[in-house]
Amino acid sequence: MTSLLTHNGILSPRRVTAVPLGLIASVATVVLFAIAVASPGLIATHGPFALHLQESLHAPSLTYWFGTDESGRDLYSRVVYGTSQSLLIGLGATGVSLSLAVLLGSIAALSNRFAAGVVNRVIEVLFSFPTLLLALLLVAILGPSILTQIFAVGIGTAPGYARIIRGQILSAKNSGYVEAAISLGHSRPRILRQHIIPNALRPLVAIIALSVGQSIVWASSLSFLGLGVAPPSPEWGALLDSGRAYITQAWWLTVIPGLVIVALALAATTLGKYIQKALERGER
Amino acid sequence: MPKKTSALLPTLALALGAALALTGCGAGTAAPAGNAAATKVLGGTIQYAHQQEPSCVFGGWIEQAYLSYQVLDNLVSLDSNHKVVPWLADSWSTSADGLTWRFTLKKGVTFTDGTPVDAAAVAYNFDYWLKGGNSTAQVWLAGYYKSAQAVDSQTLQITLSAPYPRLADTLTQGYFGIQSQHALTTRTAAQNCEAPIGSGAFIVKKWNRGQNILLTRNTNYASAPANAKHSGAPYVNAIDWKFVPDATTRAAALKSGQVDAIYDVPSIEWSTLKSGGFQLDRYVTPGRPQQLTFNLSRAPFNDENVRKAFAYSLDRKAIVQTIGRGVIPFEGNGGVSRTTPGYSTAAAGAYTSDPAKAEALLDAAGWTGRDKDGYRTKGGTTLEVVLPYGAGSIINADGAAILQGIQEQAKGVGFKVRLVPVPQSELFAGAYAKPTEKDLSVGYWTAVTSGILYVNWKQSTAAAPNYNNAAFVNQPELEKIILAANSESDVAKQNALYEQAQQYIADHALAIGVYDRLSTLAVSPRLKGVWQENAQGGPVFDDAYFVK
Amino acid sequence: MSAPSAQSLGAAPRSGARLARLAGGKLVNAVVVLLGAATTAFVAQASLPGDRATVILNIRAGQAIRRTAAELAQINAEYGLNHPLIVQYFDYIRGLVTGNLGVSYQQYRPVAQIIAEQMGPTIVLSLTAIALSWVIMILWVTLTAGRSARVSALGSVVDTTAAGLPQYWLGIILLLVFALGLGWFPVISGNSIAGLLLPALTLAIPLAGFMGQATRAEFENSLEQPFVISARMRGMGDFEVRLRHVLRHSILPAVTLSGWGLGATLSGAVVVETVFSRSGIGQVLVTAVNSQDLPVVTGIVILIATLYVVANVLVDIAYVLIDPRLKAQ
Repeated sequence: MTSLLTHNGILSPRRVTAVPLGLIASVATVVLFAIAVASPGLIATHGPFALHLQESLHAPSLTYWFGTDESGRDLYSRVVYGTSQSLLIGLGATGVSLSLAVLLGSIAALSNRFAAGVVNRVIEVLFSFPTLLLALLLVAILGPSILTQIFAVGIGTAPGYARIIRGQILSAKNSGYVEAAISLGHSRPRILRQHIIPNALRPLVAIIALSVGQSIVWASSLSFLGLGVAPPSPEWGALLDSGRAYITQAWWLTVIPGLVIVALALAATTLGKYIQKALERGER
Repeated sequence: MPKKTSALLPTLALALGAALALTGCGAGTAAPAGNAAATKVLGGTIQYAHQQEPSCVFGGWIEQAYLSYQVLDNLVSLDSNHKVVPWLADSWSTSADGLTWRFTLKKGVTFTDGTPVDAAAVAYNFDYWLKGGNSTAQVWLAGYYKSAQAVDSQTLQITLSAPYPRLADTLTQGYFGIQSQHALTTRTAAQNCEAPIGSGAFIVKKWNRGQNILLTRNTNYASAPANAKHSGAPYVNAIDWKFVPDATTRAAALKSGQVDAIYDVPSIEWSTLKSGGFQLDRYVTPGRPQQLTFNLSRAPFNDENVRKAFAYSLDRKAIVQTIGRGVIPFEGNGGVSRTTPGYSTAAAGAYTSDPAKAEALLDAAGWTGRDKDGYRTKGGTTLEVVLPYGAGSIINADGAAILQGIQEQAKGVGFKVRLVPVPQSELFAGAYAKPTEKDLSVGYWTAVTSGILYVNWKQSTAAAPNYNNAAFVNQPELEKIILAANSESDVAKQNALYEQAQQYIADHALAIGVYDRLSTLAVSPRLKGVWQENAQGGPVFDDAYFVK
Repeated sequence: MSAPSAQSLGAAPRSGARLARLAGGKLVNAVVVLLGAATTAFVAQASLPGDRATVILNIRAGQAIRRTAAELAQINAEYGLNHPLIVQYFDYIRGLVTGNLGVSYQQYRPVAQIIAEQMGPTIVLSLTAIALSWVIMILWVTLTAGRSARVSALGSVVDTTAAGLPQYWLGIILLLVFALGLGWFPVISGNSIAGLLLPALTLAIPLAGFMGQATRAEFENSLEQPFVISARMRGMGDFEVRLRHVLRHSILPAVTLSGWGLGATLSGAVVVETVFSRSGIGQVLVTAVNSQDLPVVTGIVILIATLYVVANVLVDIAYVLIDPRLKAQ
């Protein structure tokens, strides 16, 4: 899903379809999620695991904002308490993914022909696996846990980012100012430090924002297939998966966690776009 | 936290809201309601949605027994009063010492490959199971079975090494379906896996893996069990046995008329299906219920008081009733389920919710400290217990919710229960099978007699390890009672001994029951005559017919 | 995911010999990638936890217990699991080359046969989804791109939202509304045509979102190009201008994405086939991963990698065919 970052995609939007409202909403959403991470008790209305056996499967109401699940647990509070875990997975996976991508991408773009050739093949091999399949294989090997989910999603999404970073470095390397710097006799490390690294890494900020959203979506896909975080953890994907059994009688258990995931992914993507645009404006 | 979602989503939210409003009170039923003037229609294909897809039609798993029941006949069958009745065998008798059994076979029955169902073929099946042809048949008979011979073409003699009065009951389970010897010896393993040859009511026509198995009518069928509703070939032409893992999808497909019958009805759908006029069947499988066995080989459950404290800390009944919505029965007995002959009500009632008693027992056992999360500690160690479970295989969604309730209840007195859902791949790879990996084992094992206690509690020795004993510590006294029961020919005395064994399990808190495992069926009003066989609760389609 | 690299485009073929050399290079490249994929799949499965013979026995019995040495020896001998891994690996590669993908542990059947049976529905699903996503994307972009600020913004927000929708969730919602609720479609899709639409839509909507994001920028750019202005001056209607001139110049990124989309829809099939009870390679794969059925998993992995490589070669060709600038070189 990293195709958000195609060369004609948002990495080079030539026309700004700015909606300040979108920016405000995204920031507000991110802030809300940040509060949920930092101090869930502040905004939750119940304990995340507290059973209310007499009130199972209640529709959303003033007492239970998002309704209750089969054991009468408050879905809203579970979503709030699940935020930190879901975000941890998203950020962790992004960290793994981008570290790998930067490593592979820069070797492929900067090292000698042989090493670059080998690494290029590695990237292509990894890339020929659909993300989910690569992640599935990793989960099967390591067993389901938060750590596995982070690595599975991180490694699964890395090849796409590695290609982008390779492209960025290559285009910086072949750009006019680098040629100029070479003709001025600047040393290789200096060119790297002053020109290539800053130019190649600038889009990373935007990629990070995008990747967090996408990682959460991928991680929840794993949870959906029963290969994610263990219940009764209120991780969003796990919530969604366990709610599916009650979908005909209690739609909120599936629909609401899904909306939350989409909202976060969307907010992160929108923010990423704005950062990207701001950076481009800064360049000019 | 935004109440619903960010302002970026107005369109989506609007569309969804409208869609959900449309969905409203859920799906209507397309099936005709109570039709008094229904007339029987011959032929047709039954669309049946089942849950799990096994790797072979015949084997040692209940999912295979359900399937092989359609294709293979057993020697004997179990009727609704739990009495053994004739099937391929017309009659049977036991010698005075209980070591020799003779079965007289029905005449003129043939397998669907044309070879006769004779005593030699049946004897071959016994040896085939014991050699690993059916792992479950193997654990039942190993230790008792000696040999099987054909006395004449219609008389089979089984020789045992120790008396086993419940042999006939045991043979009613799907694991003991009789296959064509000719097919077993001349065909490849793949052929026998995919389409075993029996003398049953249906024949495996085609298996589309991941999708369905097409079973067609055995037009020459003439060996229905004595408890069938009619003798002779099935009324319908075929069964389209679909595999639909998602329970909600199965129920919805039944309501919309896409299928005629479904297996494993989720408890949440029970009442809507009932009011929709669907036939609902619930069979409480005899044998081991869904229960928790304590690991006695390490702390903290090597201490009997801690085990009892755990039992008293739970209100198992309340949690099972909430999640089970009155469909799943609470089961207090940790040995066998309520439908098993020799069930002990006293053992089932041994532990009711009593948190105060649990607290006192834990105090007495020295677990007096508390950590920062409020869990009890002793000498700096937290009272943590590991409970792995086979998610989606051994334990379904309802079961997982029940375990989460147990976790929360035990927390009330200071137990930290670590739930570990184990995916099927790891489970079958032997993850969490060792005594060093867990403190509680959850699971069921269907059986028709209390003889299942022997499978689960037989001592494990170096020469003959019993990995089915989840307590991991041998209970010689318990085993003695079970062995005596197994070989007791007087049914009343045998039941008393089995009850004594369950009481032993309860007294020492070796295992506690949670809920009874169910086989459930829901059938469309347009299909009549479907019933559940009495050994394991699988669907029987031999007598089924459509009505107009 | 990203466009074909600058080298491959810059080296647009000028002569037959050069074309052949390029094709040869691509072929070698493809073989290397596939060998790598096969090796990765083998290593991944071989390093799965647990003893494979135990797994096979337990799957057959539906039990999760340890097994005795005697039981294990029988299975190990039957499947050659007692050979050293390296021997197993070479056996495996040799099998691949000769088209023998091995025999499933679970089903006792040749893997090639299993895949052949299940591949059809998945390919149909993937291609239908890609076609649908093109239709949705073209309609939406043509209707909304470069209009008033409001409409444009709406178009763009919908693109982004659609692209971010988790497939499993979208699938559940579509199932809930159109199959469970309204009853317009069967709940169990099976192989039916009627059952194809919802699963295909589930895969198509996010893909249309991705392609829409990429196309919209190009589209709005093209709208301001001289040839558009001249077309308008010739009196061509707005809709015609958009369809005939602007679209052609803005779909290149979407073409590239379609190659990636094949991989995405094949992988999405894993989830979607589960949600809609549709038969296909995805369901087989999930079952096989769950039961450590090594030959089936590796077989499917190789297949998907092959398809992916082929699709991207085709995309490279399409790229050259569509882009007039490249042709002119």
